[in-house]
Amino acid sequence: MHILKQIDRFLEKIEGHLIVLILSLMILLSFGQMVLRNFFDMGIVWGDTLLRQWVLWVGFLGASIAVRHDKHISIEVFSGLASLFCKRIIKAFARFSAGIISGFLAWAAWSFMLFEKDSQSILFLDIPVWIFQTVLPYSFVVISLRFLLSSATFFANDSEQALK
Amino acid sequence: MTALGIILLALLGVPLFAVIGLSALASFYNAEIDSAAIFIELYRVASNPTLIAIPLFTFSGFILAHGRTPERLTRVSQSFLRGIPGGVPVSILIACAFFTALTGASGVTIIALGGLLYPLLLKEKYGENFSLGMITSSGSLGLLFPPSLPLILYGLIAQVSVDKLFIAGIIPGMIMILIVSAFAITRRTQSSESFSWPEARSALLDAIWELPLPFLILVGIYGGFFTVTEAASVTVVYVILVETFIYKDLDIFKDLPGLMKDSMVLVGSILIILGTAMGFTNYLVDEQVPMTILATMKEYIHDPLTFLMVLNVFLLIVGCMMDIFSAIIVVVPLIIPIAQSFDVNMVHLGIIFLTNLEIGYSTPPVGINLFIAATRFNKPVLKLYLAVLPFLGLRLIGLILITYVPAISLFLVDWVSR
Repeated sequence: MHILKQIDRFLEKIEGHLIVLILSLMILLSFGQMVLRNFFDMGIVWGDTLLRQWVLWVGFLGASIAVRHDKHISIEVFSGLASLFCKRIIKAFARFSAGIISGFLAWAAWSFMLFEKDSQSILFLDIPVWIFQTVLPYSFVVISLRFLLSSATFFANDSEQALK
Repeated sequence: MTALGIILLALLGVPLFAVIGLSALASFYNAEIDSAAIFIELYRVASNPTLIAIPLFTFSGFILAHGRTPERLTRVSQSFLRGIPGGVPVSILIACAFFTALTGASGVTIIALGGLLYPLLLKEKYGENFSLGMITSSGSLGLLFPPSLPLILYGLIAQVSVDKLFIAGIIPGMIMILIVSAFAITRRTQSSESFSWPEARSALLDAIWELPLPFLILVGIYGGFFTVTEAASVTVVYVILVETFIYKDLDIFKDLPGLMKDSMVLVGSILIILGTAMGFTNYLVDEQVPMTILATMKEYIHDPLTFLMVLNVFLLIVGCMMDIFSAIIVVVPLIIPIAQSFDVNMVHLGIIFLTNLEIGYSTPPVGINLFIAATRFNKPVLKLYLAVLPFLGLRLIGLILITYVPAISLFLVDWVSR
C-alpha cells in the first residue's frame, strides 16, 4: 500500500510538470501563430493541429490528477443526507465503481489507439496520429488505478476505526 | 433495469464521466459495436479550432481569480455607484457579472467575491436574507457575457459560431442584471457614504489594466482583427503580463505553475466527460432517440412556444441537478434535432440553454451555488433556499422574456452581420 502511494505521488509530480511544460508551449505557440498570421501574413501549417492534440494532452493529464483531489464532476444527492459512516461507505463504493468502469474505458481507449496505428494515418511531418493518442489509454489506466487505490484506502481506514 | 442501475450509480456520486462511460459501454456492447468507437467522436470535436480557446481562457480566469482582481473590480464599481440609492447592490451585481464572464465557471465568483461583498451589504444595513440571496444568485450572473466558458462549449458541441454567441449573450445578460438591479433599488437603504471623485478616479486608475479586457476581446473579434482562438491566446498573454509584471500580484515562477495545474484539472474534468459522452450521444442520435421523443412530443405540442416552455421546465431541472458543463455536453446534442424541427434558431437556443442552466445553479434543492454559499458563509442550506426565492422569481421573468422574444438574443447578431 505504502509503495503504491509513493508511486502515485511520483506520477502526479511528473504529470504536473508535463502540464506546465505543454501549457507553456501552447501559450507560446498560439501567441506566435497569432503574431505571424496578423503581422507577417504567414503561419506554421501544422501549428493548429499540434495545439489541438496538446489540448487533449493537458486535459487528460489534468483528468488523471483530478482523481487524487476529488475534482471529478459528479451528482451528490445522497452523500449530503447520509450519516458520516454511510457517507464513507457510499464514497468508497462510488470510487470502486468508477475504478472498474475506467478500467473498461482504458481497454476501449487502448483498442481505439491500435485501430489508428493499423490505419497508419499521419498527423503532420510523418508523425503518426496514434503517438498522440497514447495519452488516452495512459490516463484511463491511471484514473482506474487511482480510484481503486482510494476506495481501498477508505475501506482500510474504516476497518481500522471499527477495531478501535 | 440497466438504466435504473446507471441512474442509481449517478445519484450515489459516481463521477459523471464514468456513469456516461458505462452507458456508452453497455449500449455499444448490446449493439455489437466495438467499444473503441466511444472515442471517435472525441477526435472529431478535437478537429474544431475553437477547442484551443478552452484551456487558454480557463487558465486566464484562474490567474485573474487568484490575483487581486476581485478587490479592484469591487472597488471600481462601488466607488462609481456610491451615494446613489441602491448603488451598493447594483455595483455588486456588475462586479459579479464581470468576474463570472472572465472566469467562466461560476462557483468561483461566490468564493472569490462573496467574502468581500457580503459584509459590504450588511454594513449598508441590507437584511441578512436579502444579502445572502443576492450574492448566491449573482454567482452565476454574467455567464452570458464573453468570453464565458459555457458559451464556447455550447458553440463547440452545437457547431454554432462562437463569435455569434459572444454577441448574442450581451443584451440578455444585461436584461438579467437590470431586472435584479431594479429589485435591489426598491429595497434601498440610506447609504452612509457619498460619491467622491478622487476615490472613483483612483479606483479606476487602479483597475485600468483589467477593465478593458472584455472590450479588447469583443473589438478584436468583431473588428476582424482575430478569431476566438487568437483572442484566447492574446488574453492569456495579456493577463500573465498584467498580473505578474504590472500589478505583481502573482509570481511567474512561484504561482503560475500551480495555477496551470489547477486550471487543467478543471479542463480535464470537462474534457473527460466530453470524451465519453460524445460517442454515446452520437449513438443515441443515430438510433433516432431524439426523433422518437419528438414524435411523442408532436402529439401534444404543435407550436414552438409550447415546445420552448416544456424545454425551459426540463432545463431548469437539469440545471439544478447537473453542473453547466456536463449538462451542455450531454443534453445539447439530444435537444438540437428536436429544436430544429420546431424551427428554433441555434444561437437563440444556446442563449435559452445557458440562461436556464444559469438559474439552475441557485435553484433549490440541489443547485450547486446554494451549497457553495452555505459553506462560504457558514449558514444552513435551508436558510439559503428561502433567501434566493425572490431572486429566483425575478430571473424566471428574465428567462421568459429571453425565451419568447428571440429578437433580444438575435437583434445584435443580425445588426453586426449586416
